[in-house]
Amino acid sequence: MLAGVVAGTTAAMRRLPLTPGVGGNPAPELTNTSWLNSDQPLRLSELRGRVVLLNFWVFTCGNCTRTVPSLVAYDRLYRERGLTIIGIHTPEFPPYAGEHDKGNLTRALGRQGITYPNAQDNGRRTWDAYGIRYWPSFVLIDKRGMIRYTGYGEFHLGDGDFREWERRIQQLLAE
Amino acid sequence: MTRIALLLLATTTACRQPLVAVEAGPPLRLVVAPGVRINARLKPALELGDGTVLRFDSPRVTPDSAYFAAAPTAAPPGGARRGTLRVSVCPSGEAFCRSLEMAVAW
Repeated sequence: MLAGVVAGTTAAMRRLPLTPGVGGNPAPELTNTSWLNSDQPLRLSELRGRVVLLNFWVFTCGNCTRTVPSLVAYDRLYRERGLTIIGIHTPEFPPYAGEHDKGNLTRALGRQGITYPNAQDNGRRTWDAYGIRYWPSFVLIDKRGMIRYTGYGEFHLGDGDFREWERRIQQLLAE
Repeated sequence: MTRIALLLLATTTACRQPLVAVEAGPPLRLVVAPGVRINARLKPALELGDGTVLRFDSPRVTPDSAYFAAAPTAAPPGGARRGTLRVSVCPSGEAFCRSLEMAVAW
């Protein structure tokens, strides 16, 4: 009986629900105070003119870490062309699990070769402001600070979702 | 047959359906329906009223160490018969993880 209930539950889930907004909604400002790979806290208001990809993740999530190579590739390909990738590191469990620890996050960034900025969202303020539910999730923000695309779920270098996110990045960079 | 002590009501935001059950044991044992994987990099936690936190674990994990390959267990606490269970689950048919937090008794 339990199995049947669970099967029905997962079948109801959808991956990559897209919000292809023409105009979009204003992206909530980032208020995080603890950052890695950035000399100072980043604010979206100071990133106008750049396309911003937010990645909500946590280093204990396999779906998240398996997606990181794709994000590192986007960063390498598009940073100089106007893309800023920001990791929003949001723990799943309370502090006893170690996800809140800045040292642990620093080591995770090193293991993954992540050089783009990451915010510690230990209080889930940014997670809540964006209404995120799953790890990993993504929010793509245009040069005017408007949310244009959102989605969630693991993807890999060169697969269909990778190409779709890349297409969106290129679209917003061209605007 | 081991009796399932309690079906847990998972309070996910998207799906208010039971995903995980605990067998009273001893030891306490987490069981999931086919297709539901428990994140092994974030060991399930049972928080007791006195602040004690028990972690479920299993030596058997998938080759990438991301998920448990056998039901994780924990020694039952002395005295306490209820608590809050946290589990990170990643359905195999999906590509994301979500957290479950639920009150349990055994």
